[in-house]
Amino acid sequence: MSLENKVIEKMKVSLNGKILEASNPRARRIFVKVKPEAFKDAVKFLVEDLNVKHLSTITGMDLGEKIELIYHFAFQGAISISLKVDVPKESPRIPSIVNLVPGAILYEREVHDVLGVNFEGHPDLSRLILPEDWPEGVYPLRKEYSPEDLRKLLSKNGGKS
Amino acid sequence: MELVKWALKKSPWLIHFNTGGCNGCDIELVAALTPRFDVERFGILLEGSPRHADILAVTGPVTQQVKKRLLRIYEQMPEPKYVIAVGSCACSGAPFKDCYNVHSGIDAVIPVDVYVPGCPPKPEAIIDGIAKLLEKIKGRKSDVSRK
Amino acid sequence: MEANPRMGYGSIIKIPFGPQHPALKEPEHFTFEVEGNIIVDVKPRLGYNHRGIEKAMEVRTYIQNIYLAERICGICSDAHTTCYCQAIEELLGVEAPPRAKYIRVIIAELERIHSHSLWVGIAAHEIGFDTLFMHVWRDRETIMDILEFISGNRVHYAMNTIGGVRRDISSDMIPKIKKGLDFLEERIKDYIKIIETDPTIRKRTVNVGVLKPKDAIELCAVGPTLRASGIKNDVRKDDPYAAYDEIPFNVITNDGCDVFARIIVRCEEMLESVNMIRYALDNLPSGRLRVRVPLAVPAGEVVSRVEAPRGELIHYARSNGTSRPERYKIRSPTLGNIPALCKMLLGQHVADIPIVLAGIDPCFACMDRIAIVDTKTRKRRVMNFEELRRFSQRWRKTH
Repeated sequence: MSLENKVIEKMKVSLNGKILEASNPRARRIFVKVKPEAFKDAVKFLVEDLNVKHLSTITGMDLGEKIELIYHFAFQGAISISLKVDVPKESPRIPSIVNLVPGAILYEREVHDVLGVNFEGHPDLSRLILPEDWPEGVYPLRKEYSPEDLRKLLSKNGGKS
Repeated sequence: MELVKWALKKSPWLIHFNTGGCNGCDIELVAALTPRFDVERFGILLEGSPRHADILAVTGPVTQQVKKRLLRIYEQMPEPKYVIAVGSCACSGAPFKDCYNVHSGIDAVIPVDVYVPGCPPKPEAIIDGIAKLLEKIKGRKSDVSRK
Repeated sequence: MEANPRMGYGSIIKIPFGPQHPALKEPEHFTFEVEGNIIVDVKPRLGYNHRGIEKAMEVRTYIQNIYLAERICGICSDAHTTCYCQAIEELLGVEAPPRAKYIRVIIAELERIHSHSLWVGIAAHEIGFDTLFMHVWRDRETIMDILEFISGNRVHYAMNTIGGVRRDISSDMIPKIKKGLDFLEERIKDYIKIIETDPTIRKRTVNVGVLKPKDAIELCAVGPTLRASGIKNDVRKDDPYAAYDEIPFNVITNDGCDVFARIIVRCEEMLESVNMIRYALDNLPSGRLRVRVPLAVPAGEVVSRVEAPRGELIHYARSNGTSRPERYKIRSPTLGNIPALCKMLLGQHVADIPIVLAGIDPCFACMDRIAIVDTKTRKRRVMNFEELRRFSQRWRKTH
């Protein structure tokens, strides 16, 4: 069995029925989707059992009624393990993982900025990349805004667009 | 004071400001200042403070974050003052036209005297733009207030 | 060659100007909380060159997005297009032909040399060693010439396309490239000698900005910053792409954990890159430069990683069967090093901010102002980088 498949099997055992999808589309690529209630345990498993310390980044995606969060870990720098979890768009929140992965601190802040996800327990979710005068509650990467809609906001703040 | 006389009495001082671009134009602007291309032979000196500068060379597409700063730098420059937009972003914001945090070039914020397009423009093109600006300066008979 | 402290990088990264207008709210990139002049906390606040590229990519075709990806950063644009094109190729289920993969390595390593040498000049400038800065930037023109010779452009080489590369490196071009590499190799070796022996450089960088290996790992640092803390991770070796699994090279590490180690790692990486390019040129496979690809990309998702000059670059893409991506996510290496940067600044003197900041080789053009807050008096002063650099150089002369 390949290393990637071993990892998937171990996760399945550890998370006992809480895995929604798992795939190994090619060498060094794993994608695993977990139920929200198993999210923290899944991260704990990766960090403590598999000793995966490196988080490359966190992707957020607006899927309509849900926001999908994808945590891109790197096992020994080599195998990319993308851990996916959905949160409802109506109230998008998930526990922060900075106590397990200190390097997550700015990635969570960035997703909060552009998608409005609340990472509970994060020490400082203040603006990271959006400008100071960007309107509150407008999350640019949500699908309800087109680039034109967002640029109109820019001209409201002065200057042509 | 006659502008022509001014231009001959003193070398123009140039300052450079990046408004959120990719740094491509900045690399080539700085290269224009290094010995190989040597814009100093035109009498341009690179200066630090806007309060003493004559020419503002701007790169980048003007992100919302930086817009006010650009305005303030421009306001701090004494008259007569001139602006060169270096690169396609500075000219029109072109590569980033769908991007929500970006204005459509520098002239959306401050007046521009010379546009140097390119992505990025080569150092020779930048120097050409500066030379054209110097001609423009010398060609004026009187100072035109820019309000 | 005369060193002119007014020229060069100082003009890129700042426009110095007078006191802060109290009514204007323009957040600085970093706010440093200090006790006396010692840093006790660092708060990052980026956004200067946040343009909204990820959103724009959703309304453009995959071909148009190559040009947008290239312009994320003018110094590592090839790393971004390599990462991008690989991602889309994987979604399409195609591979670039062998000759294209070797050419991708050659261009990527030329870019690494270009980026690292640009940075060595900047580091020299931060320390006040402007003669070295001018020499390095003059020698760097050799790399710019080679890149222009191959691609037609000095910056944004546009070599990559989905399915392969757009231009060839023909055998008659090779002698000229190798001549440039020979020259650069000698010069890089000279820089290393200077850097290792010059007491000023050592004084400003040894034991400055220390990042312990445990912190480097926990804070998810990348690139030379990570490797200068002794951690042997490099995407080219760990998660090979293009032709890196066929081209022998060493991953450069250094146990110094300080700014000095970061300088040495980058210099030695340049020497490795020279050798890799020579090997690739000598072993360039024959064959096509690209495969044809359809406009529409089947639904799927992909993670693409490359080792950009500044470290691990990661792109994530989700496709939906059309010619436009559903989602395209980019994490540049500099963002990956900000938490580590904040850590290595703790306990440092304000005068060391410029060289430590420069030490991670930040890829934003925006390091022009910082705020310093005294924890006892809560007084806040804003300094521009030029003021800070001058203060640093003056202070370091006597301490």
